[in-house]
Order: sequence, then structure tokens, then C-alpha cells
Amino acid sequence: MSDLKENLKAQIIEQLNLEDLTPADIQDDAPLFGDDGLGLDSIDALEFIVLLDSNYGIKIADPNEGKEIFQSVNTLAAYISKNQ
Amino acid sequence: MYFIQHIESITHQDSFQKDNIWNDLKPLTGENELISPDYKNYIPVAALRRLSTILRMGITASKACQEKVANEFDSISVGTALGCLTDTEKFLVTINTVSGDILSPTAFIQSTHNTISGQISLDLKNHAYNMTHTQNALSFEVALKDGLLCIDEGKNSVLVGAADEAIPFLERLRGSLIETEHPFTSGATFLVLSGEKGNSIACIQACEVYFTNENKATQVEQFLAANNCSFQDLDLILEAGSDFKSQAKKHYSFLKYSGFYQSASAFAVHMANDWLIKNGDDKTILIVNNLESNKLGLTLIHRNDVEA
Repeated sequence: MSDLKENLKAQIIEQLNLEDLTPADIQDDAPLFGDDGLGLDSIDALEFIVLLDSNYGIKIADPNEGKEIFQSVNTLAAYISKNQ
Repeated sequence: MYFIQHIESITHQDSFQKDNIWNDLKPLTGENELISPDYKNYIPVAALRRLSTILRMGITASKACQEKVANEFDSISVGTALGCLTDTEKFLVTINTVSGDILSPTAFIQSTHNTISGQISLDLKNHAYNMTHTQNALSFEVALKDGLLCIDEGKNSVLVGAADEAIPFLERLRGSLIETEHPFTSGATFLVLSGEKGNSIACIQACEVYFTNENKATQVEQFLAANNCSFQDLDLILEAGSDFKSQAKKHYSFLKYSGFYQSASAFAVHMANDWLIKNGDDKTILIVNNLESNKLGLTLIHRNDVEA
């Protein structure tokens, strides 16, 4: 699971062009969206859907699920582990 | 008359926020890089990560103009020949190489030409008219004519600009689709125009575009005559090529200083404005955009304190 989280952080940085961040800057349980976390927005949510599809072969059928899945690296990793 | 209140350029010259660009203007070689300001001073970091060079240049030059003139723009008109090439290339490569049903949305959203004026409007929080014009090498002149029409309609502070970005792929088109001896470069020039003189030095007297392949010398003569002017009245000709060099008192090929991008005639307006600031005796400058053989763009720039 920890390898998956580290890979996810690197992929998030690359996919979202977070040039000023390193994987160490992203806490496992920190919120990804909103001002308290990384400050990601709705276009980033679309990029997450693409990331899950292209890197893990997971399609999110119900967009409403995204709010729960994309809360943090922890929730993303748990969803991937469960659905891959 | 359409008075130039302020003008900013981001190019391969040291041209951004300078008193006079002629102080450091040198002919470009293939080695000159784009001289970028620190974009973080103008664009939030969270937004900057998504923006390609053309959008960074356009937004930054626009914001610098906005800061200088303080009042909100009544319209925004931008010209671009090839648009957001970096994102277009990224999107097309993704289509060709990525398997799966879903494509990354960012490159697609930002690959369209109208992203430029739209993104500028969003960043300036400006809700007035905005339009991106694309007419190959005459894109800037068409945007300029749009801006002049806005002033004729009664708008007071009008932002007009042009931007294009170079990508390595353009080199593969050299000699086939694009004929030029100049290096491919990126550049953005934005100017604020007003119907009121204010503190301006120069004004746009007239701008015209010709999409027909007629005799260019005749077209230039007719354009000058329509504006009560002749070759003898011109103190300087700024031209993409050198067709009118023999008829000019002074002549510069602006592509030698801008490098090749199809909306570089916008940078020639910056050269003309600063030439009139630097050379107090000169009054009238003609910009000849004959970058494409079957098209012609003409812009007449005049010193304000002289009767046209």
C-alpha cells in the first residue's frame, strides 16, 4: 500500500503539473481539494479520472463517487486497491 | 485618431516594461531565447502550472497594461495566427499514443484559439467584450481593426494585442509550409488604445488589410493617399520583407528583431511607438505586413502633436 501511495503522489505531481511540489510535500491524509489542502479544482478532478483510467484501468462509472474517492491520497489508494 | 496609451511586449528582445525598446534592440540570431518575466508576479501559481507560453505571455502583458492605465478595459481584441500550439500538439499526441477511452482535458480545453482572449478576460476579471481573431499573418491587423471599431462605437479604453508561440515542430515545416530565413520565435504585444489623447505620444491613424493578390505597391500608394499621405511623408517604414526599402527614408525589417511568428507586426507597432518617443523630429511611420505573399496589412502610425 505504501508503494502505491508513493507512486500515486508522483503521478499526481506529473499529471497536474505541480512543478513546485515533491511527493514528500503531499501528506497521505491531507485534503487534495479546497484551500486547506493542495487547492486542486474541478479540472484536476477530471485529470484524476483520466489518471485512474490510464494508469490503473479503473473507470469511475458514477461521477458522484469522485467526491469520496478523491478526498486524499489515502482514499485514492484504498479505492485503487479495492477495484484493481 | 486612436491614441496609444501604453504598450508592452514579451519577446526574444529585452522588451517587457522598458522605457524604450530601441535602447537594447538587436537583430536576432538563432541563439536568442524568449526573455520571460517572472510570471509568478502576475499569475497565481495554482493557475500558472496549467498555462503554456502563449497564455503566460498574453496574460502577463495584458496585466502589465492594466496596471499602467488603471481603468478597466471596455473591450479585449487579440490576434493569433497559430494559437495555442503547445497544448494543440500535446492533445494530438495524446490522441495518437494513449490507449483508453478518456483523454486529459486540460490540453484540449487550452488548445483552442479563443482560450487566449478568454483567459485574459478571466484573469483580469473583465466582463466586457472579448474576441480572438485568427487570420494567419493578418491576425494582428484584424484584431487591431476590431479594437478601432470598438473606439468608433464609443468605447474608451480598448486592449488590443497579438500572441503566437513557437514549438520545435515548426522547424519541420520550414521550406515547405513556412518560408522564412528568420528563426522561429514566440512573442506577445499588447497595447491600450483610447479615443482620448491623454499622455500618449503616438496614435494609430489607420489600419487596413488586403486579402487579394493584387499589386502591393499600388495598394500601399492608395492606402497612403486615402490618409492624405505619400512615401515622401514617411520617416520610417517597418516592413516584414524589404519590398519598399528603396522608397523609404529609413527602413527596418521588423522580423530581424522579432524573429518569425505570424503576428509579429504587433511588435512593429511597439517599435514604431518607441521610435517616435526616441526621435522627436520624426512624425509618420508605415508598418507593412507583407509576411505572406498574397496578403497585405498596412498600419499608419502618427505622432500626436502633428496634424495628419
